[in-house]
Amino acid sequence: MRDALSLDGVTAKFGAFVAVDDVKMSVADGELRVLLGANGAGKTTLMDMISGRIHCSRGRVRIFDRDITNWTEHKIALAGVGRKFQIPSVFRNLTVQENIEVARCHGQSVFRNLRFAMSQSDRDRVAEIMELIGLNDVQTQLAAHLSHGQTQWLELGILVAQDPKVVLLDEPTAGMTHDETYKTAEIIKRLRGEHTILVIEHDMSFVREIAQVITVLHLGKVIAEGSVSEIESNDEVRAAYLGSAGIS
Amino acid sequence: MTSRRKIQLAAYGLFILSLFVVPYFMDDFGLNRASKYLVYGMLGLSIALTWGYAGVLNLGQGLFFGLGAYMMAMSLKLMSPTSLQQGSDKPIPDFMFWNAEPNAPIELCCISPGSYLWIPFQSLWFGVVMGIVAPVVVAGLLGAIVFKKRISGVFVSIITLALVLLVRLIVIDAQPVTNGFNGLTDLGFLTIFGYEFDPYSRQMYYLVAVSLSLVLIAGRLLADTRSSLILQAIRDDQQRARHLGFNVPMYQTFFFVVSAAIAGYAGMLFVLVSEFASPTFMDLSFSVTMVVWAAVGGRSSLLGACIGAILINFTEARVSETETLVEAWKAIIGLIFVLVVLFLPRGLGGLAHDFVDWLTRSDRTNAKTHDASSANLKREVKQDA
Repeated sequence: MRDALSLDGVTAKFGAFVAVDDVKMSVADGELRVLLGANGAGKTTLMDMISGRIHCSRGRVRIFDRDITNWTEHKIALAGVGRKFQIPSVFRNLTVQENIEVARCHGQSVFRNLRFAMSQSDRDRVAEIMELIGLNDVQTQLAAHLSHGQTQWLELGILVAQDPKVVLLDEPTAGMTHDETYKTAEIIKRLRGEHTILVIEHDMSFVREIAQVITVLHLGKVIAEGSVSEIESNDEVRAAYLGSAGIS
Repeated sequence: MTSRRKIQLAAYGLFILSLFVVPYFMDDFGLNRASKYLVYGMLGLSIALTWGYAGVLNLGQGLFFGLGAYMMAMSLKLMSPTSLQQGSDKPIPDFMFWNAEPNAPIELCCISPGSYLWIPFQSLWFGVVMGIVAPVVVAGLLGAIVFKKRISGVFVSIITLALVLLVRLIVIDAQPVTNGFNGLTDLGFLTIFGYEFDPYSRQMYYLVAVSLSLVLIAGRLLADTRSSLILQAIRDDQQRARHLGFNVPMYQTFFFVVSAAIAGYAGMLFVLVSEFASPTFMDLSFSVTMVVWAAVGGRSSLLGACIGAILINFTEARVSETETLVEAWKAIIGLIFVLVVLFLPRGLGGLAHDFVDWLTRSDRTNAKTHDASSANLKREVKQDA
């Protein structure tokens, strides 16, 4: 099967400090991959490099065999990479519906969007997404007035509206209640298959709920890759997480 | 169409209509003054477009206004009768003649250093076109650099502020070409296809009123496009917008340029109405005053900012007629600004917005209960399935 996302020796250096060190990884089309790792393992930095926020010092990033290494953010986004941030970022002074509509505008150029209404198919898609993220009741409210959980779902909706091939999710359940986490897992499971997804997550119950394959990062390096049970029984992972003594 | 939208369009219609009713209640002197206020209204609108929609507070809008004004004034200066009486068969601005070296040839090419810059302005159309093109080019270059470098917020304000002061200094300093601090006075009338526009005439007022109406309508249409929605999204969160695939600097530059073009056009009209152009157009206080108009009128409302500018200037004129209040006016406008910022952060436009919300609330709650019941219905249908 063709790889949707492949990283080949990707490295991020800030001065002498190496945040991400020679990471090799490939995610198959339609796969849901979880990135695991302690604080400072380089998970977010890795996503920043894929989405163009941080310069890759070395290595190549490919989306369906297309080399997108060090492109500008908007070009990478147009190539089909969607990104959800750790701190939920939505357009706070637009209504919920407008947020989704913005993401549904096509093309990068200001001149292409000098037009008024959206096409019927786009409008249908916006309605579909509103349904998916379950924010129909609040669609005319400003995004600034949403609760934390709703804001996270709205950002997921924005991502889906963008129609990316590869979706990068940075801690989509951070700060959520149990019920909210459950709903988020439902949304993400519905995206599986249509999109290739890379998720950073700490909540192990959530990881068990959604994960197919897990990649574990430690101090910028990949130390393990495998299914949930393989990872849970991996000694190196236990050592990285719990100290060399393991669980005693 | 929602009832909100209907009320909005009605407000625009009503305002434009009232522009054309005003002449029936005013003499030519009053109309001249009203024309100036309409020009200020246009400036208020141009500020709202960048400040409200793009989130870019331009403290140097006077630069584009001044550029437009000078381009127009240079052409009109050469059309002035006095320019033809300087002992040459070609028009020469009188100040160049006064300041010329004793044996300098009386020709635009070489009467004073830099006077050749005036040669193309012998054509009125060149001045008219440059009145738009010059602000557009300057804004385009500035925007391309500033926005590509991802400079935002207060830093853009500081750059624009510094730039307007710089250009003002250059204009004053280039005395042989620009007549320095005195500016360009004693201008000819605008003559289009043999028709003369007297600044103290109804025709001049109509020219300004039609211009403002067209700019308002064009601005409204622009604000309704998807690009404007994307621009507002960029205002809220640039990074998010970038990761949605939008070329952020291009959007910001485009709207910055449109705003500059409107300001340049306003500058041209102002020269026609007031018959002079001077470096005071690029004073810092003038640019800041424009921002106050937009703040009072409502920076996120094009019509609001326009009305704000007109209202403040009418009030100022009224107040200034009372002698005791002339000196106090600056304090009054300052107080109004402080009060608006404290209690009406979205200005008069925001107030109108809230009022419309309150008016349409009743039918919105109806719509909501309708939505809710249909959602319930759907849920039941799903459960049945």
